[in-house]
Amino acid sequence: MLALRDLQLAIGHTVLGHDEASLADAIAEGGIAPASRLQIYRHHYEISLTEALKAIYPVICRLVDERFFGYAAHEYIKAHPPRRPCLHEYGESFADFLASFPPCRTLAYLADVARLEWRINASLHAPSELPLAAGAFRNVAMGDYPRLVFRLLPSLGYLESPWPIGRIWSGREQVVDLGQGGCRLEIRQRGEEVVFARLDGPEFVLRQAILAGERLESATAAALAVDPLFDLAMALRRLLGEELVTGFSLASDDSQTSF
Amino acid sequence: MTAISSTGIGLRGPHLAAIVAAPPAVGFLEVHPENYMGGGPALGALERLRCERPISLHGVGLSLGGTDGIDQGHLERLAALVERLEPALVSEHLSWSIVEGVYLNDLLPLPYTEEALDLLAAHIDQAQTRLRRQILVENPSSYLSYRHSTIEEPAFLAALAARTGCGLLCDINNIHVSGCNLGFNGEAYLAALPAGAIGEFHLAGHSINDVDGQKILIDDHGSEVVAPVWALYRAALRRFGPRPTLIEWDSHLPALPVLLGEAAKADAAIREETGNARAA
Repeated sequence: MLALRDLQLAIGHTVLGHDEASLADAIAEGGIAPASRLQIYRHHYEISLTEALKAIYPVICRLVDERFFGYAAHEYIKAHPPRRPCLHEYGESFADFLASFPPCRTLAYLADVARLEWRINASLHAPSELPLAAGAFRNVAMGDYPRLVFRLLPSLGYLESPWPIGRIWSGREQVVDLGQGGCRLEIRQRGEEVVFARLDGPEFVLRQAILAGERLESATAAALAVDPLFDLAMALRRLLGEELVTGFSLASDDSQTSF
Repeated sequence: MTAISSTGIGLRGPHLAAIVAAPPAVGFLEVHPENYMGGGPALGALERLRCERPISLHGVGLSLGGTDGIDQGHLERLAALVERLEPALVSEHLSWSIVEGVYLNDLLPLPYTEEALDLLAAHIDQAQTRLRRQILVENPSSYLSYRHSTIEEPAFLAALAARTGCGLLCDINNIHVSGCNLGFNGEAYLAALPAGAIGEFHLAGHSINDVDGQKILIDDHGSEVVAPVWALYRAALRRFGPRPTLIEWDSHLPALPVLLGEAAKADAAIREETGNARAA
């Protein structure tokens, strides 16, 4: 008789695709071979995770066709079994997997489209927070602005690609000219949905730095490095106007004051 | 927390907009908490819906029978949702899903032994203590059984309820599916369950497959409830009385009116078998 731990280890290995001789004696036959009974669970594991990946990566599935997606998913699931029971959190490394998956070598843009789909999925399941009102900085002295550290929407994400992944994702064009260049995208929740917008270089760099927790001073320096004529006042107005800021604090060398 | 009356339906993503726009006249809405861990618009919609309808959280990720132990992080996320949504019911499964940290995305069967009973009881205690409430434990649909099981499944469930104070979620379709697959009688199974512990019924469809030339029923929640399951449900109503009843439909999701039609059939069965328009 197998101890419960050993039984679960053996069944786990079987579900993951390895045969376990020790189970043959543990499972009652009743007209159906134990291996055939175990195959039901193995099949469900594979099919249900493929469906979970398809739900997160519908555009990848459209681009490569369903059959190839099934093959890629099979290989991915084998290499990266889930570690958590929330299926919307499964598949984060699928883009990296596609980037190094030999059959996808000629589809250089595919991994970045997958990164966009993951980012959309992550935004959809991020906590919703209320934005700060426009007048929230009224009491911050101008001299303290360099020390401002903003807290942005939890659903916010930034993605830069050398490929026109926004156009590829939308599927509105029959043929997308890959030579038209890349894009910088901002992805966020808005109301009941997730939307993304294209940003120019300095604004993208500024917002990405702010999201990373940098002070306004260093985030601005990064944007100015891209464009010396960058208009910070306008950029801040847009940041608030687009309801991206949910809080802020003032950084000092040894402490932060939160508002 | 709100008491539940009559029959509920599973709330699934494709129906969310229609249900938010015009909440149907059902007794409650049941969701998998794992789909709402994180947040976002769907959780916001659920928070609004719970003002009008009781919510039931039906977990699939605690792996109560797993020898890895309960994932404390997952239990904390569940506790946070329970606190936020104040559900009328919280349920999980008599099964295991995780080994060596890998989530096998299935409700895998346990051998019914004293060793498994001790482990389950400890994990149910742990969950109920953290959630500060009773949970219901659902009987599984099984495609295999173990030679070394020493306890019948309903007696195992009864022992768990007695030892931990947990309630039981009696899934009628699962009893039918497992009974056909493993060769036991559904009504005898019902007779061995402790009536006082039954807190909810589940009804669902299943598919019929061929394995090694034998018929195997797969609990895929992808079709209407079939006649033998309705008959077993009526037998359960006669034995246990009315309980909150859920129509589960997860794959090949039909239009909402079809789901509501199934719920109306369950309501009719409650009326006819118990003379009671409302579940306890």
